[in-house]
Amino acid sequence: MRLATYLLPRVLAALVTLLGVSVLVFLSLRLLPGGYADILLGPFVTPEARAVIAQRYGLDQPLVVQYLRWVWAMLGGDFGVSMVTQRPVIDELLRRAPVTLQLALIALVLALAVGYPLGVLSGVRAASRRKRRDFGRVIGAMGASVPDFVLGSVLIFVFSVWSLWFRVGGYVPLGVDPVGNLRTMLLPGLTLSVFGVALILRTTRDAVLRVMTEPHITAAVARGASPGAIIRRHILRNAAIPVVTVVATYFGFLLGGAVIVEVLFSVPGVGLYIFNGLLNRDYAIVQAGVLLAAMVFITINMLADVLYALIDPRVGVSR
Amino acid sequence: MTAPLVDIADLVIGYDTGMRQVRALDGASLRIDEDETLAIVGESGSGKTTLGMAAGRLLPPEAKVIGGSIHVAGVDVTRADDEALRRLRHDKLGFVFQNPTTALDPTLRIGRQVALAMGGRPPPEAIAELLSRAELNESERILRAFPHELSGGMAQRVVIAMAIARRPHLLIADEPTASLDASIREKVMSTLGRLRAESGASLVILSHDLRMVARHADRVAVMYGGRIVELGSVTRVMQAPAHPYTRALLTAAAGNERPGERLCPIPGTPPILESRCEACAYADRCAFRETRCDTERPEARPFLGREVVCHRAEAVIGAPTQARQEDR
Ligand SMILES: Nc1ncnc2c1ncn2[C@@H]1O[C@H](COP(=O)(O)OP(=O)(O)OP(=O)(O)O)[C@@H](O)[C@H]1O
Ligand SMILES: [Mg+2]
Repeated sequence: MRLATYLLPRVLAALVTLLGVSVLVFLSLRLLPGGYADILLGPFVTPEARAVIAQRYGLDQPLVVQYLRWVWAMLGGDFGVSMVTQRPVIDELLRRAPVTLQLALIALVLALAVGYPLGVLSGVRAASRRKRRDFGRVIGAMGASVPDFVLGSVLIFVFSVWSLWFRVGGYVPLGVDPVGNLRTMLLPGLTLSVFGVALILRTTRDAVLRVMTEPHITAAVARGASPGAIIRRHILRNAAIPVVTVVATYFGFLLGGAVIVEVLFSVPGVGLYIFNGLLNRDYAIVQAGVLLAAMVFITINMLADVLYALIDPRVGVSR
Repeated sequence: MTAPLVDIADLVIGYDTGMRQVRALDGASLRIDEDETLAIVGESGSGKTTLGMAAGRLLPPEAKVIGGSIHVAGVDVTRADDEALRRLRHDKLGFVFQNPTTALDPTLRIGRQVALAMGGRPPPEAIAELLSRAELNESERILRAFPHELSGGMAQRVVIAMAIARRPHLLIADEPTASLDASIREKVMSTLGRLRAESGASLVILSHDLRMVARHADRVAVMYGGRIVELGSVTRVMQAPAHPYTRALLTAAAGNERPGERLCPIPGTPPILESRCEACAYADRCAFRETRCDTERPEARPFLGREVVCHRAEAVIGAPTQARQEDR
């Protein structure tokens, strides 16, 4: 099968998804009580002033027209202008994207570095002892059920009292002071990674358990291969197949959805920007931000599909 | 007399399946000599796979050895530690499985897998030579392929090549041709037989197809209800079976049915044991049954140059035959 025929249905599905997301974000913003006029002019805004603002930003048009104008402008590469700053939203988003990317990478690396080895270990142990309730289960269940804001708040509390080496808030750009940057970014990264650890651990563990019952593993045991060699040569690779998909989804989630953690730790990334845009009812920011996040999410997952096909030759994309 | 290559004595193995335990082997005894081909035949569920895998202690964790012993090439398999077992498998045993495509790692190229089976980094000529011994030509293409890109027959030849790569003393093939096209079964069996003869190893073929394996074996062991019920040279057993089950198997696959004609299956179903069988496990389906068969567990005894587990062997062997002996 050619790569193109493999990707085409996925691209089509992605376009449909984006269309849905755009409608959803557009409508839900309009459904929120209040608008930019209330934020800008305060609670005692007159109907006249409100009308001026509405007219200026085209908010007096029917929703369908507003929506179509927005989509049409985006197709032409114009993602809108922030009502608050009067600057193009896309510039602001791109300026903040590296911060979110760095945070996402820290969380991803931490989650993989802890989750994958623990998942393999837990899976191998569970398979060889026929004991299904081991540490992997416990960590997996706990990590997945602690909400980010709870964990983040606890970390903020702990490290505000005993700073140790970390710092809460006070973001410094990586290029300016790498060490200072890490001091502020590690805690939010850690907070974000806990869910990832649990997710990757559980996925890996289940995958390992499944792979270990496959006949080719028995065949390798029957050839007298050592347990270490079997894990390295056969189990790691086969178990990685489902993990890739989950990791991609997680990474996409990190890139687009680290809002709570960015707000909590005052990390000036895309999430904080969208959050503030939402508070200000700065429609263009939220619309463009959410849509771009969805785009990134979908692209990452598509890349994962390709990667998946590369690891698992049965999926059959010719190389 | 030297010790046999394999000595399995009174082996009892059960599978824990949640509520109850299924007794797959109920006192199976078997010796395998050097340099012979032994066919183990029996219906589905008779315990062939359990017996074959037990020889390398390759059973799943739910399988429990309840009694008896297994010695393979001087190693006490039920007692040996993990490393001794690994050495035994590595140096002395080779396994061929029913479904070759699942017995190969789907994510690795054949070349890599064959190299691993040969112990790491063999020279390319050695790999090609090994494949050609398993009657695989075009080794270039095959070595570059992934398992799912090979036909079943080719994949099985790869599995066979991997099994003989370290020159095992004992080759255990569990239904090696069952998943293959009928047209190539004979050829794959011949390859196995030839490789065995060349290497002087012993070959054990597990199968439900008595007639087919009989053509390739020196001795045949018939399994029923987790025991070996008749064991002897192929000629003796096939010409004059002494166990009613062997007799029924031969009638069921008489070899003289025309294409499309249904075989006459043995009426009834094999037992699923949960504890030691205190009668003859075959009694329910047996045409020669008498009272003793329901009350007394038959033990293995020598009988006309073979071993048989049947109270009624004398009557069975003397009974008139219908569809037997045609194609031997
Ligand atoms: N993993 C398992 N868990 C539970 N019971 C099992 C398991 N494997 C085998 N058994 C049972 O043990 C008995 C013997 O099975 P075994 O696979 O050894 O028979 P077989 O002769 O190889 O049959 P087949 O021709 O179907 O391969 C059967 O009753 C089977 O249901
Ligand atoms: Mg079987």
